[in-house]
Amino acid sequence: MHVYIYDSFVNQKKYQRALANVETRITDLGLNGKICRLGVMTKIQDIVTNEIRRGAKTIIAVGNDQTINQAINALVGSEVPLGIIPIGSEYNTVAECLGINSAEEACDILSARRIEKLDLGKANYFYFLTNASITGKGTVVEINQDYSIEILEKGSIHIVNLPPENKINLPARGKFDPQDGRLELYIKTEAKKNFFKKIIDQSFFTFEKLTINNSSYPLLIDNATKVDPPVEINIAKRALNVIVGKKRNF
Amino acid sequence: MFNRDEKLQLKDAETIIGPSVKVKGEFNGQGDIIVEGVLEGSLKTGNRLRVGDKAKIKASIEAKDCSISGEVTGNLKIKGSLEVSATAKITGDIEVSSLSIEKGAQINGRISMGGVAPVENKVETKLA
Repeated sequence: MHVYIYDSFVNQKKYQRALANVETRITDLGLNGKICRLGVMTKIQDIVTNEIRRGAKTIIAVGNDQTINQAINALVGSEVPLGIIPIGSEYNTVAECLGINSAEEACDILSARRIEKLDLGKANYFYFLTNASITGKGTVVEINQDYSIEILEKGSIHIVNLPPENKINLPARGKFDPQDGRLELYIKTEAKKNFFKKIIDQSFFTFEKLTINNSSYPLLIDNATKVDPPVEINIAKRALNVIVGKKRNF
Repeated sequence: MFNRDEKLQLKDAETIIGPSVKVKGEFNGQGDIIVEGVLEGSLKTGNRLRVGDKAKIKASIEAKDCSISGEVTGNLKIKGSLEVSATAKITGDIEVSSLSIEKGAQINGRISMGGVAPVENKVETKLA
């Protein structure tokens, strides 16, 4: 049985048409299932736990990055795969990272059911699938308790598990692998050389465990949830089954 | 010297320490490493190391092959070849199998090659 979890924001009038199209397509593909709607009093964790107990075969998050991140945290360690239907044109980076670019495409991807077992990052008690980011200002990073990294210029720090396809200009793209049991730390800084030319430099490390400290700014995970430092980040190997796009290569 | 094809490129590196980053501590890696920033402590890799011309390293270094264009203070233990560019400044003892030094490079320290014990007297080399 498929269980569709609708985020509360999809009830807005501007999403009704998109939602109607999704429901029609799901019916055409024979993927009908139970619909659960999130509200003020309903938690995604409770819904997922109850539905898995009742025999759900797939949990499908219908919403944006926030919805997906909550679903990921509810599904960690379970064999039940997560499907994704992105709604709206903004805040859908997690879906894009998995090769799901539109709600219509998502329905076909659900039907094709290509399941991949992926690593997750863990920031304190919160799991993330794609990346975590924080400003470089005032941030101190310590890797595996062996060495510390200090950022001398203005910039940003990204901890990457599953890279966004075109969002940030990452080096050595082939090395970002959400199935290799390691996370990547990517630091991008901008040093103004002169008025016309801006030099962007980058640093890149691979790790299994690190701590981040910043007294002023939070860490943003999966473009959705803020976690206050100090944050300990490590990896949960092959912790989530996800239905991914047919053309998404890992 | 490294051939053009053998030179360690950004895309091949497992770790890149950029010019705006300072690393302190014991850095151990297995893959290729590029250092363009500041590093203090120790650095060990089972593969290649490239030290850029703006890099400043105060650390003992162990690597398979190494090319240095920046400033290094500390002892170097290189299993394979070491290439020292014209802009390099090395202060420390070097243990290496094969060595190439470009005109203009500065080396202050003892050099031992091919597993032979280093000479007693301090060798001060400045090619210009």
